[in-house]
Amino acid sequence: MLKDQAMSVVFDGSPLKAMQSSHTHTPQTALSAQELSQEIKSFISGVDTVQGRKLSVREHARCAVRLLRSVPACRGAVLEHLRSVYDEHVSAFLHNLETEGDASSGVSSNLEDIIQEVHGVLSEFIRLNPRAWAPLVSAWAVDLLGQLSSKHAGRRVAPHSSSLNELLQLWMSCAATRSLMEAYSQCLAAMLAWCPDACVDALLDTSVQHSPHFDWVVAHIGSAFPGTIISRVLACGLKDFCSHGAKDQGLMVMGADKGSRVPKIGSVVGILGHLAAHHSDSIRKELLRMFQESLSPSSPLSPTSSSTSWESSPQLRRAAVPFLLQLAAMSPNLFGAVSAELVELLRPPVLLQLQALLQGLPREELDNMLGLAVHLISQSPSGGARVLRFLADTATPASVIISGPTPSPHEGVREGCDRLLQMLLLHLHKLVFNRSDGAEGNPHHSASSQPQRVIPFLEELQSHVGELCAETLRLERKRHLWLHQLLCLLSVYGGPSVATEALCQLLTQARNPEELALAWQLHTTLSSCMAGLIPAAVARCVAQIHTHTLGPRQLRQLLLNLAAAIQSQDEERRGSAGAQSSMAIQVGSAVSGHLHDFGPLLLHGDPAVSHATVRLLSCSPLPRTSSPAHLLLLSRTAVTHFFLALRRRGEGGKVGRDGGQAGEAVNCSVLLLSRFAAYSPLTLKAVLQQLVEGALHKGNTDLFGGQIADMSGAPVASPSVSPDLGASLLEINCRFGTTVNFSGSVWSVFHAGVIGKGLKVRTATQLPDPSGVIQNIQTLLAVVVQCCSSSGLNGSINGSRPPADPDEPLPINAEAAKVVAVTLVENVCPDVANGELSWPPEEHARTTVERDIHIRRCFEAHPVLFHLLQVVAAGRPALCYCSAVLRGLLATLLAHWEASRDMSSTDSPWHLQASCILVSCMGEGQLLPPVLANVHEAFPHLTPFEVRLLLLAVWEYVRGNGPMPQKFVFSSEKGLFCRDFSRDGDVARYVAPIHSVLHKNIDRLGHLCWRFQL
Amino acid sequence: MGDIRQSLLPRDVLSAAKELLYHLDIYICNLVQSGRQPPQVDSKTLELVEEFILHAPKDRNTPGRRMSALQELQLLEIMCSCFQEQSRDTVRQLMFSALFSLQGNQADESRMALLGKLVSMAIAVGRIPILECAATWLQRTHRVYCIRLAQVLVDDYCSMVPGSVPTLQNIHSASPRFCCQFITAVTTLYDLNSEELTPPLELLQMIVSWIQDDPRLVLITFLNTPLSGSQPISSLDLTPLGGLVRWCVKAPLAYRRDSKQALTNGTTQNEPETGPLFSALHLSVLQVFMLLPNILNEKGLFGRLALLQMESLAALTSDLSRLLDQADKHTHASSADTHALSQLTLDRLAQALQVAMANGALLCSREDLRAICSRLPHNNLLQLVLSGPVMYYNNIHTPPLAFSPHAAHSPIASHPTHPTHPAHTPHTPLATHPSSHPQYPAQPFMTGMPFPFRPSH
Repeated sequence: MLKDQAMSVVFDGSPLKAMQSSHTHTPQTALSAQELSQEIKSFISGVDTVQGRKLSVREHARCAVRLLRSVPACRGAVLEHLRSVYDEHVSAFLHNLETEGDASSGVSSNLEDIIQEVHGVLSEFIRLNPRAWAPLVSAWAVDLLGQLSSKHAGRRVAPHSSSLNELLQLWMSCAATRSLMEAYSQCLAAMLAWCPDACVDALLDTSVQHSPHFDWVVAHIGSAFPGTIISRVLACGLKDFCSHGAKDQGLMVMGADKGSRVPKIGSVVGILGHLAAHHSDSIRKELLRMFQESLSPSSPLSPTSSSTSWESSPQLRRAAVPFLLQLAAMSPNLFGAVSAELVELLRPPVLLQLQALLQGLPREELDNMLGLAVHLISQSPSGGARVLRFLADTATPASVIISGPTPSPHEGVREGCDRLLQMLLLHLHKLVFNRSDGAEGNPHHSASSQPQRVIPFLEELQSHVGELCAETLRLERKRHLWLHQLLCLLSVYGGPSVATEALCQLLTQARNPEELALAWQLHTTLSSCMAGLIPAAVARCVAQIHTHTLGPRQLRQLLLNLAAAIQSQDEERRGSAGAQSSMAIQVGSAVSGHLHDFGPLLLHGDPAVSHATVRLLSCSPLPRTSSPAHLLLLSRTAVTHFFLALRRRGEGGKVGRDGGQAGEAVNCSVLLLSRFAAYSPLTLKAVLQQLVEGALHKGNTDLFGGQIADMSGAPVASPSVSPDLGASLLEINCRFGTTVNFSGSVWSVFHAGVIGKGLKVRTATQLPDPSGVIQNIQTLLAVVVQCCSSSGLNGSINGSRPPADPDEPLPINAEAAKVVAVTLVENVCPDVANGELSWPPEEHARTTVERDIHIRRCFEAHPVLFHLLQVVAAGRPALCYCSAVLRGLLATLLAHWEASRDMSSTDSPWHLQASCILVSCMGEGQLLPPVLANVHEAFPHLTPFEVRLLLLAVWEYVRGNGPMPQKFVFSSEKGLFCRDFSRDGDVARYVAPIHSVLHKNIDRLGHLCWRFQL
Repeated sequence: MGDIRQSLLPRDVLSAAKELLYHLDIYICNLVQSGRQPPQVDSKTLELVEEFILHAPKDRNTPGRRMSALQELQLLEIMCSCFQEQSRDTVRQLMFSALFSLQGNQADESRMALLGKLVSMAIAVGRIPILECAATWLQRTHRVYCIRLAQVLVDDYCSMVPGSVPTLQNIHSASPRFCCQFITAVTTLYDLNSEELTPPLELLQMIVSWIQDDPRLVLITFLNTPLSGSQPISSLDLTPLGGLVRWCVKAPLAYRRDSKQALTNGTTQNEPETGPLFSALHLSVLQVFMLLPNILNEKGLFGRLALLQMESLAALTSDLSRLLDQADKHTHASSADTHALSQLTLDRLAQALQVAMANGALLCSREDLRAICSRLPHNNLLQLVLSGPVMYYNNIHTPPLAFSPHAAHSPIASHPTHPTHPAHTPHTPLATHPSSHPQYPAQPFMTGMPFPFRPSH
């Protein structure tokens, strides 16, 4: 058995031989021991021992390579020798660059192939046995790289160490350094699997030693192995930071000597900065990871932490946060990468951890960190708004009333944030006010006077002014104080545009007087250094209105706020005049400049908006000068709004709250109209004209108890009825052989219906609520009277004569009344034929039958006309201009009474009333002497015929004594125009019919006799 | 000698070292010529060596000067020629030990580093005297340092520089003594217990070829060493036999593990199978055992000197049982393959035990063997070896240890008289207790033992 085993062993041995021989391949340069010894001697002495001559650099290097391949013990020496070869090549390379490569290109190219050779050998070795060679070569390559880069850093062609990319380009174009770099990369790639730490640590140690000239190497390696390098660079920087102590670095960045004291952190920044271009994600992750790990409670044996265990040292963990701050302070890139997500990370549990961590630090250090953090925040170009919100949220004290979005943090954390926020504000304050030192008080020119220091935080917040304002207006405890302060700073920093924006936002968003007060506070602060803020803000608001960026609610709020602002002026006038008053005046004047912009809002679809507008307009002062077009437009809209308000009042009167508002809207509208009318003759005319027109307008008649009547006489019939009337215009035209419109002539009397079809059907109209009608009429009259008696025109014509008794109403202005009269005539009379003031004989009325009927119908349809007529009558001699209307109405009344076969005049109530009012108006307007004017008192007691007789007397008188305005004379003691009837002809002959009627009915009219005495 | 320090101080590193070497040479020559026994280098000189050649920091205040690698190479070159040119063996040995004997101070690190480089270089450029000195050094030094030196050489020639294996192979012809010590150190170093402790293939091939070419190589140190009392404690074994047996026995299991890992790593195993190599090695080792009786007899040591020591065998068997357990646990798929490999392992163990015992390299009783092999799984051959009668087929004709002063003690009789002295107590080399109890080969015939043979399958 044993033999068998042995036999098998022997048999096994036979193939072994063959295998062995195949494996003991001799190297291509198999040298005997003797030759090797010679080679070593040559290498040491640099002299060819066989031939006795000096070796060239090239030969020497070749010799070294041979030794490297064959004598392991020479490894160290060979590598050391190769250093000089590489150095030589770099020198030649740089020299070549410096001399623009004219003569010495041969040397460098010679060495280049040697370097290739060396590189080939080394990389072969590394490939064959990475475990043995990678640590060796990596250490060598890194050290040599460091040496080369610092040695040649001062060369003319070498770029400054701060420009990493140029350095990288230069060195990577040099064969020697490139080869070293490649070798190192190869080693690192091989070593990453089993011991990356040693490799990277060597790299960083060298980097520290040769910083900053060596940074390009780390940067390059880092971009090749981002995952490994970044975390290690950070850890290394942290260790260094910790050992240097953070004490004296706190405010270092404020000065100019960035990073000069601590070389390593400078290198870290440089390297990471370079990597940030392509690997910002990894860097951000690493930085955040570092932050988180530094906070998370120490787990003594965390299996995941493969890296160099800075996590396990409490000292290092404590230094991590200051380190990160420092890092961020030195590199905007890194800071930018981290800041956005950092805020997201700071949830309450993290904050608690952070607080626990920081509690251990000495006060001085904490202060430094605070300063650094403040500096960072103020310099952060993005995410400022989020940071601010976070700070404010965290620092706002917990409250029972206001429950913030986040649960209330620990009190200590809150205080910390509070402090940070206050420091931030203080810092910003300093920055802002130091900055505009040279241009104080003149912000418009400050840009040109000196280059301003940009404060990125504020720069960014400028676009968040709206949100800031909204936050401020929430009036939460301390928060609004901070934010308000910040708004001030922001406004000062950003200049007028930002200030305007802020003010505008506050004006738009404030919802009550307390909130609005913030706007005034802001203005008070800013007014010292900024002029013209309020006009600009108002202009901006107007611009917002024009661009329709505001919703109805906001718009309403804005208008109300403006109104409130202006009204505060009035209050101030009564109370103590403070800073507000001047501002209220400013607001007022600014608004008045934009009245025409607010005007259209009166007709806004949302009642609330139009109400707010009318509030504003009614309290805003009117501009000193304004273009007629604007004025006309404004007056038109104001009047339209008036009727709209009346209608709203009518509609909303039943439903409570709205009713109150609608009523107020009407009052405001009345106020607005009267103020507006008082502004200038033009506006007065326009307002009155439009009021009258509006009152008579088809759409508004129902407001004043009128009916929509067909003025032209055409039947108002439902479409279903009209076809079977059988009236054919064609037929009619054929019959008369003409298409000429004979309107006004006898031929065109169709108003009572089509002949043969009977009287046309009167549409039954439902009468509106009589009390509403009365109220509306009252309101309209009040407006008209106010307009007519307002001081604008009176001042110009009458001279300013203040009424002796304020309760006594001002007299109706003649000119205004004339406007009403004229407008009335225009609207009531269908044509101007026979429109002269003087009256024809009564018989001539036949020629104007149609017109007269039209006029009568107008009066029927618009009861308000009588009231207007009364107003006109009060403004003597305006009634003269209504001559045509009066005549027409009188004519139809005469015709009616003549035709009437009733027993008493009271049987035709409308006609009776119309007659009474007509006569009394004419009396009031002094178209009739008092004797004649009083006849209407008798009308209700008379028969229709007698009424006709009396009215005929009236007609006769007016025919005899024409209603001419020139017959009126201004009496200055009364402030009125009066007519002296004594200049006219004898009244007596017109009184005769009166007396006859009196005699006839003396039993009933005895008590009136005294009224008709001459 | 101490007075030259002042003159050395101002010199540069290299020339100071050179000058010191020069003075050392003269000093030792004088020492030898003075005939004082034993020639002893005084401590002053050793301090000088440490200061100027090894550059150990003398105290904390003065930072040690360092040589550049180039200077070091020059120094090595000078040392090489210095040893080469010195004709007298004694002087060389003294000088070598003055330079490289470990002193147990902090200079030892640089001493070891320099020694490694020197020996490595001597191998490359074939400086036989240095290798001889190194062989002696390997005999006298604690095995930990020997292992370090071997490690340096293996790294240099087998892993660092590809294609330099032939250079190392040459030491066989250049200095068999060094070669033998090198094998001992290497087999001590690589105990096949883990992947790192598995010899590189090149090394294995080289050693196998050496031993195949000349099995006596492994005995060279043993043959050349006078068995005086100068064997230091914890030095390397006298022969690499123990280590080689361990290699051969463990190899099937160790390499199976390696190949399995390689397979799971996805890298295809394109290097040649190590199995045949170990088979060849095993055969060679067995052949060496067969050579032993004559040699031992010549030296008069048969039965008195255990070249294979019991405690190393015990360690081997416990390793084995562990490895076999692992193999059973981890392989379910290729169980047949695993079974074959473990049987091969046990076969080899049994063969080695049998041959070693039979040839007087292992001095122990079968009870001892059974005790250490008790945890191993069943193997027919092993069972046979542990239980069966011993065939004294080689030395059956020569009376055992007739020439020995202890010949009167019958091995069979002696064993029961020492029940408190179990066989696995250290079979320290003869020198430690030269005359107390010679451990006779005690292989009692176990009559009561049933023959446990049964067909394995």
